[in-house]
Amino acid sequence: MNKEELFARIQKAIIEGRKSEAEDLAREAIKARLDLTEVIEKGYVPGIQKVGDLWEKGEYFLPELITGGECMKAAMAVLQPELDKAQIKTKSKGKVVIGTVEGDIHDIGKNLVASMLSANGFEVIDLGADVKLEKFIDKAVETQSDFICLSALLTTTMLGQKKTIELLKQKNLYGKFKVLVGGAPANQKWADEIGADGYAENAMLAVKLASRLMGA
Amino acid sequence: MTILDLVKTRNVLLDGGFGTELIKRGFPRGACPEAWNVERPEVIGEIHRRYFEAGSDAVSTNSFGGSRIKLASYGQDRRCYELNRAAARIAHEVRPGGRFVGGSIGPTGKFLRPQGEFTEAEFEESFAEQARGLSDGKADFLIIETQYDLREALCALRAAREATSLPVFVTMTFSRGPRGFFTVMGNSVGHCLEALGREGAVAVGANCTLDSADMAVLVKEMRATTPLPLIAQANAGKPLLSGEGEVTYSQGLEDYLRFVPRLIENGANIVGGCCGTDPEYIRRMAAIVKKGVD
Repeated sequence: MNKEELFARIQKAIIEGRKSEAEDLAREAIKARLDLTEVIEKGYVPGIQKVGDLWEKGEYFLPELITGGECMKAAMAVLQPELDKAQIKTKSKGKVVIGTVEGDIHDIGKNLVASMLSANGFEVIDLGADVKLEKFIDKAVETQSDFICLSALLTTTMLGQKKTIELLKQKNLYGKFKVLVGGAPANQKWADEIGADGYAENAMLAVKLASRLMGA
Repeated sequence: MTILDLVKTRNVLLDGGFGTELIKRGFPRGACPEAWNVERPEVIGEIHRRYFEAGSDAVSTNSFGGSRIKLASYGQDRRCYELNRAAARIAHEVRPGGRFVGGSIGPTGKFLRPQGEFTEAEFEESFAEQARGLSDGKADFLIIETQYDLREALCALRAAREATSLPVFVTMTFSRGPRGFFTVMGNSVGHCLEALGREGAVAVGANCTLDSADMAVLVKEMRATTPLPLIAQANAGKPLLSGEGEVTYSQGLEDYLRFVPRLIENGANIVGGCCGTDPEYIRRMAAIVKKGVD
């Protein structure tokens, strides 16, 4: 099998959500001593992007998105030790601290955004749900993140997004991280009003937004 | 007379939003709403009373997040039966004659395998305990609502029917996408309503997500797929939050009401509100839905 064929099969495995095949193909790429960065960029990433496209067109739904993210994670777990061994640093598209703000236990949307960002080459630090606002900032400082992503499903907890930005201002850290907000009640107007760097309506748009803000 | 008997004679009016009513009365951010069935029953009862006064034929109990799995998110899972029984009792106590109490059952907030970690048996067990509590607290029927996964809705329906002898209503929540109305899990309207009917739901329909204009379109599609009484509970648009924390809904009362007659023309038999609606919405809807009723 030549390289191009392998890339096509990798894409197909991701698009069709076949996890063990996505892993097997990663092992095959290692065995064939292929350039693993190229395998990721021309095989896996276009695969998950196609999953996102199909979702936007209404062909795919949450289960396919979740499965696609899991296939990516499984394949990356196979590739990562080899990348480490060869001391190859995969190009991280950016570092993201993400979580659902305090008082809010809803994490389905946040998990999906985290999974899609990670599948698309971002380094994701997921703090979970009901996260203290201070913790977002502490973690972002500690890890030198590019982004703080704040999720909220409730109109009451959405104020936590605003408060986090106020806290950043108090600490003279405003502008140091790009703050993205999301969740059912959030919208662009809200993001503008509270001084966030962006809002995305769904996980795919979040990936596009973060990529754009990183200049990609 | 049961609520089903009433549905046979005329259109039935449900209640509107509950969470926003709780917040208006000082419910703190991040707390467990169902805990107030024991801690602040007078507040819960007052909200139900306001809806009955506004004209609701039936109200939904404060137990939307009362499945054991959902309550576990607040560390309250051991109180599942107690909190649900209390929820139904409060509504039962303020219920005027000829009106009804619907025991609300919302989603667990978790996914079934393979997307999540739970099995159908675990979901069913979690819903069964909730249904028993609601039934023992004297709910007149159960309303499984805002379901985004047909498999989960069917778990709740099976559990409710097994654990109680109450009639069960089910509403799914559909988004309007490029290919029409689907749940976020990809379940089509026809597939959902047929499967729910087959498993013994006595009334089916949709709530949340859509405003009343889109809901009217959806009702038409639903009517074509099921002979069962049809439920429609639309949101008042999308929430808009000001920097000061004040919440308004994009559609607003007058525009919302404009589409209520169309809900009925298109085939809805059981109408109520959802997010962004309040007793005032219900009072105005009563004039449309229960036209000619004393």
